[in-house]
Amino acid sequence: MKFLTTRGLAASLVLLAGLPVAAHHNGATYFDTSATIEHSDATVVEYAIVNPHGRLSYTFVDDEGNEQEWSAELASANNLRRRGLGGKIFEPGDQLVSVTGNPSRSGANFMRLQRAEFADGTVAAFTGPNRGITPGPGAE
Amino acid sequence: MLSSRVNLGQLWRLTSAAGLVALASVFLAGPAAAQADFEGIWNPSHPPRMGQPDPSTVRMTPAGQAEFDSFSPDKDPTLRCLMPGIPLGLVDPYPIEIVQQEHQVLILYEHFHQVRRIFMDGREAPDHWQPSYIGYSTGEWDGDTLVVRTTHMHPDNYMWTAGFPFSGDENTYVIERWWREGDVLQFTGEVHDPTYYEEPYVVGGRWNYAPDGEIWEYECIPEFGGIE
Repeated sequence: MKFLTTRGLAASLVLLAGLPVAAHHNGATYFDTSATIEHSDATVVEYAIVNPHGRLSYTFVDDEGNEQEWSAELASANNLRRRGLGGKIFEPGDQLVSVTGNPSRSGANFMRLQRAEFADGTVAAFTGPNRGITPGPGAE
Repeated sequence: MLSSRVNLGQLWRLTSAAGLVALASVFLAGPAAAQADFEGIWNPSHPPRMGQPDPSTVRMTPAGQAEFDSFSPDKDPTLRCLMPGIPLGLVDPYPIEIVQQEHQVLILYEHFHQVRRIFMDGREAPDHWQPSYIGYSTGEWDGDTLVVRTTHMHPDNYMWTAGFPFSGDENTYVIERWWREGDVLQFTGEVHDPTYYEEPYVVGGRWNYAPDGEIWEYECIPEFGGIE
């Protein structure tokens, strides 16, 4: 994983000051925002920074020992970039301690990503007032 | 400069004529002469719920309610990388740039690279004009308020992503009022759609002046638009 420098992140946040969360759709229409699901020990397949929505694809092994493929929706590429989340935060093969989000109302293996945590304790938050990257104690 | 040969009587007639011309210009020029400066880049600073009305206050007709009940994300043009247009894009979440010209006001959106042309020269939509996502907009000044009327909107759109529908039939039109208060640009939009709504669907938004703001490219890939 590669993170923005502190200076780059700060510049991005300053640039974004005053901009609201950019959304194409009302999240509650498509995702159950009253529910949260968490997948442990996930492996990143792809992190796409694109419009109209970014996407994190990953796999994990469920309690029955079956590998599941999931995707998580993020904000648009422009919104991610303005919030300092447009870099190569995730790379294929990265191991994630947890992936957390709101499940799709359709029941598909799809969620709205809230946060992901790396083994070194670094947290990438994609919703809420504290969205951004918080380096963990084990980060370089 | 007046000639030294002009006597007092001629001077009175000349100044009277000049006064009449000035007075006439005020009335004949009409509201177009009074306009505000909206030029520049503006960052969104919309109120909660993206300036949409409280859903419990929206009164739909039976036809509108039926559309609402059968809402599908497939109706969202932005998820297919098509511009939100009007009315879906009235309250837009990305920066805009406004350019004021003699005959039109341009609103250049970062979002999907939308361009709105608001014609200010009195023209009307030509007969051949087809419905489109951005519609056909004309404007006039009411004092320092820009009043925009938009028609010819695409029926393959909807009001808002909470599922509120938009018929886009020949009876639909939108009236926007834009005004500036210091470094804040505000607007309201009344969407008239009597087929689906008992009364106009009203939105409102605000933009902060951003002299150092930036308009970015907004490339869009349809494969990443779908909601699963």
